[in-house]
Amino acid sequence: MSLMLTKEDLAKYPFLKESATFVESLQLDLSDLATEEYSCVLMKALARIRNGIDRTAKPVDLSDPETEILAYPLSLAFVYGSKSNWLLNRFATVEAKRVEEELRREPEGKLVEIAELGFAWDIQQENLKLEWEELSFSMPVHAYLEAATGFNDTHWKLINRYVKGGRVFLNSGSLSRLISEGFKMKIIRRGAERELADFRLPEALRRHLDEIMKYAQRNAQYDEKLPQGLVSDARPPCIVAIMEDVKAGKSLSHMARFALTTFMVNVGEGVDEVLKLFGNVADFDEGKARYQIEHIAGMIGSKTKYKPPKCDVLRSFGLCVGMNESCRNAKHPLNYYRRELKRMSRFGGQVDARGRKKRV
Amino acid sequence: MREVVRREFNRYYSGLEAEELRVPEMPKREFAFLQFGGEVMIRHMKFNDPASLKGYIVENTPAHIYHSSAYYKTPDAVDMNEKGWQSADLVFDVDSDHIRTVCKEKHDRWRCMECGREGLGFPPESCPNCSMKKIDTRTWICEDCLEAAKKEVIKVIDEYLIPDFGIGGSDFDVFFSGHRGYHIHVRSESVRALSGDGRREIADYVRGIGLDVRSHGFRDVKNEILVGPDMKDGGWRGRIARAVYEFVNRSSFVELKEVVAPNVAKNLSENKEKFLKNIASDPPYWGGLKGYTLESLEKIALASIKDLVCNIDERVTIDSKRLIRCPNSLHGKSALKTLRVGYSNIDDFDPLKEAVAFRRGSIRVYVKEAPRVRIGDDELGPLDDKTLEVPLALGLYLICRGAAEPR
Ligand code: SF4
Ligand SMILES: [Zn+2]
Ligand SMILES: [Zn+2]
Repeated sequence: MSLMLTKEDLAKYPFLKESATFVESLQLDLSDLATEEYSCVLMKALARIRNGIDRTAKPVDLSDPETEILAYPLSLAFVYGSKSNWLLNRFATVEAKRVEEELRREPEGKLVEIAELGFAWDIQQENLKLEWEELSFSMPVHAYLEAATGFNDTHWKLINRYVKGGRVFLNSGSLSRLISEGFKMKIIRRGAERELADFRLPEALRRHLDEIMKYAQRNAQYDEKLPQGLVSDARPPCIVAIMEDVKAGKSLSHMARFALTTFMVNVGEGVDEVLKLFGNVADFDEGKARYQIEHIAGMIGSKTKYKPPKCDVLRSFGLCVGMNESCRNAKHPLNYYRRELKRMSRFGGQVDARGRKKRV
Repeated sequence: MREVVRREFNRYYSGLEAEELRVPEMPKREFAFLQFGGEVMIRHMKFNDPASLKGYIVENTPAHIYHSSAYYKTPDAVDMNEKGWQSADLVFDVDSDHIRTVCKEKHDRWRCMECGREGLGFPPESCPNCSMKKIDTRTWICEDCLEAAKKEVIKVIDEYLIPDFGIGGSDFDVFFSGHRGYHIHVRSESVRALSGDGRREIADYVRGIGLDVRSHGFRDVKNEILVGPDMKDGGWRGRIARAVYEFVNRSSFVELKEVVAPNVAKNLSENKEKFLKNIASDPPYWGGLKGYTLESLEKIALASIKDLVCNIDERVTIDSKRLIRCPNSLHGKSALKTLRVGYSNIDDFDPLKEAVAFRRGSIRVYVKEAPRVRIGDDELGPLDDKTLEVPLALGLYLICRGAAEPR
């Protein structure tokens, strides 16, 4: 343990501990954790997963850090043992949210240390005062990109950052966000690893898992009834072009992926349909893609359903492929789509549930 | 006709010091070859040292020789997943074909495959006559094209790699591709592990894609009172400030009017000196002009960075498994060498002279059609339908370009 880090810190930031080998080292002990003696660890672990399902980022209980430290790998065991990507994503998102909130309360020197011990990021304290903000940290470009490519907002794009001498300059809010994203990715990546595919929860714990899954079903129904699926003929040209690239197996830019996914989700396609669509793409990583799609669909994370970017934005990313007549008045691809749907129904032909046009 | 080229290529490789074919960390690279007249790439080869690579080349005399930008655990595994990708160099590709130079009017031609319409110069995206996109091109390169490509390379390095990315002179190599452009290979440890998404961010960065000026310090505090970045700031922040300064400084009212509303353009050009003084002051002051809002500033900023962004082929930069040309190998479409360029001497580098592989001998060729061409110190053309004796390098060049046949 380093000079500055306490047991409380290890409870707050479980990615600091060597958790990499936890399955192997805990496999034997996992059943022990189901016994009476450890019942408070079990309770804590289950509570943590329920927080994930409920999307509430509760701080850990610092009056008993040891129990929290043990509870984290146990809750991970449940999550991985559930084989549910949905649960994995929810859990990781809320854990990351919790960590971000904790980090925002930490002194600057501690952030540096946490990033170093958790991810081997070489963070330096800086003193760069700009017009109205202060960038008090810098980190190497490659380390920044490790975590920041997971975000969709334009202000996270490298080009919109203060970059100098191979380092990205950040304020403490951004650094906290990056660390928590790094943590989230760690949880999710680990879940996609091969050795975990064979991981089975010990019999003694399965009962608790069943309860968790029931709890999830009761409390986290995928809310909205989505509207009908995609009507091909009503797609705007930009979306058609991206879909053609997909068909050709080309690798898509981040923005193109985002535009297509948000579009599909907003016209009422399910996660599996969107995933199928991406199956062709060269650098396709199903675990990651599913996570992103669910995130965009608002099933996990901030719970807001993302909308595709406006035409302006698509244009500046070179994704607007030249407007046709109907584009002229549409400021937004979804606008275009809705209008086309209307127009089509006016000209006869109904749209069926799977979105294919029926001739009348 | 290929026989001559093959024979000469073989002679070149036989006489080459094996060491000249060395690639950093060879045993981790995949090698690939394209044979003369072959369409299928021979892939997944592994060579532990330059001597065995040379042995293979002399025996098979390929037309093109590549190695992977990636480092693999098992480079000769056939299945991509079994190769064990470890890391990859970061590559920038500048191709003169993608740069609009005026000389293209002199040596390039295009033809619509649909309706037969023809034209000179840079090919249109779609046919102006029938708007189909099947356009056939016949492109050549000249000193001016290659000079333009060189300027892009210098821009990538001097304006981005060194100041923004902190990549020093020993971290990268520049290569003349042997034909139409240049490659920059960055091999520093810090870039090698970058994911595809990370590489794309770097490509976007140097191409100016997705730039949001508001992220770089522009804010309206009150009506027409704007704050913004300092020209001394690092990265894109300072770059935008300097670009706007220069753009406003050199633009006339008419030029400004193409970017912003007429009243703003008028105000700006009438108060130019004051405006420039304000943004150069410490701290800079960006507002105070009537009608001059964040939106107009944004438009000016985007217009002013046009010359600052780099014209690279982003697909190459994004790809972490790219095949790139081996140093000192011959380009089968030009018979010129892929040559390392010392960056300190790049200003004086003359690719059409220094990349010549065949310095002696001559060859008799029949030239169907060619624009003016220079290889080394020898020039020829424009000409068509002629048989003549030319220096070997020039003759092979024309043959490889498909413009001539040996006689
Ligand atoms: S105008 Fe909008 S809807 Fe039409 S192609 Fe461009 S981005 Fe798509
Ligand atoms: Zn035509
Ligand atoms: Zn030219």
